Amino acid sequence: MSAPLTFLRRPPAPPPTGASAAPPTALAALPASGVAIAVSMVRPRTLERLCADTPARAAFWSTTLHDAALADWLAPLRPTRLHVGSEFCERLLPEPEQLARTLAEASAAGLEVGLLTPVASPEVLRALEPLFALLPAGAEVVVNDWGVALRLREFHPLLQPVAGRILCRMLKDPRLGNPQYAPPAAHGFASPWQQRLFARVGITRVEMDMPLFAGADSFAGVPLPLGVHLPFAFVAKGRMCRTAGLARPGPERFAPRPFCHHECLGLAARTERARDGTHDAWETLHVGNTMFCRHSAASLAVLAAAVAAGRVARLIVPGEAL
Amino acid sequence: MKIVAPIRQLDEIAALARAGADELYCGVTPREWAERFGGASANRRPGGNLPSLAALAEAVELAHHNGVQLSLVLNAQQYSVEQIEFALEIARGYADMGGDAVIASDPGLILALAEAVPGLRIHVSSVATCRNADGARLYQELGARRLILPRDITLDEAAEIAAAVPDLEIEAFILNDGCVYEEGSCNTLHLPGALGGPICLDRYAYVHRHRDGRPLSPALAARLQENDAAYRRWLWYRFSCGFTTTAEGMPFGPCGLCAIPALGRGGIHALKIAGREGPPERKLASVRMVRQILDAHERGESPAAVMTRARDLRPSHEHCATGFMCYYPEVVGEAERARETARHSPPTSPVPTSD
Repeated sequence: MSAPLTFLRRPPAPPPTGASAAPPTALAALPASGVAIAVSMVRPRTLERLCADTPARAAFWSTTLHDAALADWLAPLRPTRLHVGSEFCERLLPEPEQLARTLAEASAAGLEVGLLTPVASPEVLRALEPLFALLPAGAEVVVNDWGVALRLREFHPLLQPVAGRILCRMLKDPRLGNPQYAPPAAHGFASPWQQRLFARVGITRVEMDMPLFAGADSFAGVPLPLGVHLPFAFVAKGRMCRTAGLARPGPERFAPRPFCHHECLGLAARTERARDGTHDAWETLHVGNTMFCRHSAASLAVLAAAVAAGRVARLIVPGEAL
Repeated sequence: MKIVAPIRQLDEIAALARAGADELYCGVTPREWAERFGGASANRRPGGNLPSLAALAEAVELAHHNGVQLSLVLNAQQYSVEQIEFALEIARGYADMGGDAVIASDPGLILALAEAVPGLRIHVSSVATCRNADGARLYQELGARRLILPRDITLDEAAEIAAAVPDLEIEAFILNDGCVYEEGSCNTLHLPGALGGPICLDRYAYVHRHRDGRPLSPALAARLQENDAAYRRWLWYRFSCGFTTTAEGMPFGPCGLCAIPALGRGGIHALKIAGREGPPERKLASVRMVRQILDAHERGESPAAVMTRARDLRPSHEHCATGFMCYYPEVVGEAERARETARHSPPTSPVPTSD
């Protein structure tokens, strides 16, 4: 993205415990209706804990998200959806047998299933076909590639494409410390051309990350039911995977042709750049081919207010610890 | 195959055309754009633009005078409604100048361009991250005439897309300027160097851990440390071997010259040299390099001979062998074998450059 230079100003160092552990700004309670929680998992398990009572869910969220205040906020609302697969990596699609098992387990737990799909190579398109065939009519497919969306419209019209967060391009550079740059960092869903494109491929729901400097207008102008990811925004993703370098020596160690043993399912890295006594405003981490940043407590408070105001139809929360 | 090269100033046009470029591309950020949108660039490279619409008009005229086409880059990842409207004004003016094509990424802008300036060719930017034939078909339906593939694509994938959408021209990267993250999935800024530069080159410290909180075993920690070191080596290659050149100004990687025979077989229409923000000497050397290897391929030299010729352009055999300098590292083994064979054969004759 292009950069005017006037906005650059480094913030003061955050408290030593990091942004996520900062004293929570008051979160408006989740309404009992009007908003749903979807849990995203690459390899779903422990669904029973998600569907148990509030204390069990609070414990689950606390363990998974490492944020007690956020866990307490989410816990009263029982998740109704499970999103399985990966938005970020073509190597993390489920095998058909895995998806069939997940569909059965989710059904038993009272969860509707959506399939997460990444930017798609030709090989990914081929791998998706047997997965689409397993999904029941009306099931959602979160698409992060226009080719996948077109394919759904043409060959699987009973499945419901949802525009994923990779298609929602907006500035999310965690090194920026000045909210004056927030306006140009907004989502582009309000564009009439974008809306026509959504209609053309049958997209009726959209997802986005929280903007870096979320404000009252951050979720305005979205023409379709909106899902918002929390508490992590993806900053950047590659096709090349640093973690997959563990699996393959030689010329193609960091090459686009993907190969790995799914090392990223077990490993992650906290990343930090401390320079000249200052720190970035946002906590960052690296999982597989993707860099994430964690929302601040203040951003979550803005999201909670948007939920209370009915602007957000769905919260999407990772069910696996990053 | 056509050679597509970047410019950011008018005096590059004639030299690059003489060196063998078939098409050029440029950006422009008029002052009014900067004033209206807070200084934001109209495209992905704020430091690589012509300064005004008047300069753009002159560039179109100069390019045509020198027998090459000129494309205009409007490839920010996403534009606001106001920015799309302004971009359409620029595109209309550019069409009136006789401009050849607009390179765009935002699907909303592509849709708007096709309707508002129907006579103007649309090339889908690599920033669109279109990596499959269905996506290519959608862009074609929206009005695109060419798809520039993203950097991270394999030769097989490129050929499969080209075969599946034969009426859409396919352009592939051939030289310079690697990105770590996919351009269309990187939501960051190239900050000034003092503030960190591109995020993929910023000095992040990595503290690895198990996601479930278990401590790393010493053996795994050592493997991760070795992997980090290899990654940093790869990064050095990915960014042109520390942004170095030969004494003659030829840039080191990222490079796809060895893959030209495979790209030709795969139905690729155009070869993209990246680096609008680079110095003129690097652009000129880049065009000469690609022209030399492409000419050898088009003259009918065997793929093995072409690969050997490509590797002999620069004193970079050891670098080439790592594969880290390659856009298409899957050809490394093939190129190594070709070079070994060539060492036991009479040398190939040099191919004159077009300049």
